[in-house]
Amino acid sequence: MPSLSGNNVPGLLKGFKLDLRVVSVISLVLFITIWESIIRAGLVAPLFLPAPSMIVNDFMRLYERGEIWFHISASARRVLIGFALAGSIAVPLGILLGASKFLKAVADPLLSILRPLPSMSWIPLSLLWLGITETQKYSIVFMGSFAPTVLYTIEATRSIDPVIIRAALNLGASRARLMREVILPGSLPMIVSGLKVMLGIAWTTVISAELVAADKGLGYLIMDGREFFRTEQVLLGMALISITVMTIDIAFRSVEKKIIPWMEG
Amino acid sequence: MANTVIQVNDLTKIFETKKEKVTALQDVNLTIKNREFVVLVGASGCGKTTLINTIAGFEKPTSGEVLLHGEPVTGIDPRCGMVFQQYALFDWKTVINNVDFGLKMKGMKLKERRELAQQYIDMVGLQGFENAYPSQLSGGMKQRVSLARTLANNPEIMLLDEPFAALDAMTRQVLQEELIRIYSESQKTILFITHSIDEALLLSTRVSVMTSRPGKIKQFLENDLPWPRDADVQLHPRYQELKSEVWSTVQEEVMKTAGLLGADKDKC
Repeated sequence: MPSLSGNNVPGLLKGFKLDLRVVSVISLVLFITIWESIIRAGLVAPLFLPAPSMIVNDFMRLYERGEIWFHISASARRVLIGFALAGSIAVPLGILLGASKFLKAVADPLLSILRPLPSMSWIPLSLLWLGITETQKYSIVFMGSFAPTVLYTIEATRSIDPVIIRAALNLGASRARLMREVILPGSLPMIVSGLKVMLGIAWTTVISAELVAADKGLGYLIMDGREFFRTEQVLLGMALISITVMTIDIAFRSVEKKIIPWMEG
Repeated sequence: MANTVIQVNDLTKIFETKKEKVTALQDVNLTIKNREFVVLVGASGCGKTTLINTIAGFEKPTSGEVLLHGEPVTGIDPRCGMVFQQYALFDWKTVINNVDFGLKMKGMKLKERRELAQQYIDMVGLQGFENAYPSQLSGGMKQRVSLARTLANNPEIMLLDEPFAALDAMTRQVLQEELIRIYSESQKTILFITHSIDEALLLSTRVSVMTSRPGKIKQFLENDLPWPRDADVQLHPRYQELKSEVWSTVQEEVMKTAGLLGADKDKC
């Protein structure tokens, strides 16, 4: 059947179709090449913007001294400990508050006060109480992610369609069973996506805390570079943050697929 | 009457919001006998769902009562198995775990409840999909799972709230015929809600028509079409008689509502 309609257009384009991942790689390579040549041509002083090759050199310098992993793991440990502490208290608390209107009313005013506070606003107080210690870093992450995680979890338990709850009760579920078999798994996808957002925020928090006062970590690496006019070290610190957070995000996504196998895509 | 399973006496349900009171049901009386297949027809928004929800114990009456074997319904009663229009499946459970949910709640052992669940999965024609998640199924398959889940729990009464309304016409017909078969083979009493007169006549042993705002039961009609039934029953001469009888009542109601609301496009 001859067809003059638009459906042969994709066929025509097929020959030109590129793998989009190739496009992305070319885009990245192009960006780095242009950046490098601008610096090499002397258009911008390396003090203001070092070339990518200088950042790589700095990476090698610190790598040989074993400092790269040292700083990454310092920051990562702070994030994970603070975040795990906040999550392991905030998620069960949120589920409890989601199930009880009375307890929610008790906790509501406090949570409402805590939620709008940016985690960075806790830095002065935490330094006063705990000094420049690891505990201070954990506490910053904890305070930054606790209230939002509680509220997120409450919302997640509320998001379950009431018809599903009726169906479970109609099939003979007790209150305890309803909690375990329906409310908990039903709110899990939203809780996990909330945790994913919170994990990103926890990183921001730790870096800020390290920029203010720390003796190690990626934030410290940046501040240290700034102090000695080592701009390449500043940029290296930034690049390492970006790569670390991306890696953790990918890892989190694969964990997500394992614990929520019923979600598609 | 020992034969009576569900008795609804002068049931009134008023929903109160801050601004207004809505009378969803007014003085509804309904008696359903053992093994009856009663289909309740009414336009959208006439309170059918409120009635079935009150019988299931999801809603409390404002006044009047619902009796189950002569005793008032005070809460959700697993003797009345509900099938919802929106399927209400547990998305995080596989098909077989959905179907055996009620049995699990009863404390039945894994092996036993798996065997039983498998029977009902076979019954609704879903063999091979035991380990699929609801998100991987079509609407018709989801409603089959929902039917199997309710049937596996072996309720004495089945309440179906527009279960096939969201399905395409062909899937709907297949499932209607399956429901007829299930009804013929099981010993269940069924209350089924729909806005389709054709569906009501195809399935029921008795049709009742509900009025709109406030919902009242306006007409009872014995459906004496011959059994066993399938879609061909529509060719029976008696079918047209019954249909026009129901339609005249429904039409009056739709007109009334349409007059009140301006443009109500309820189809029947």
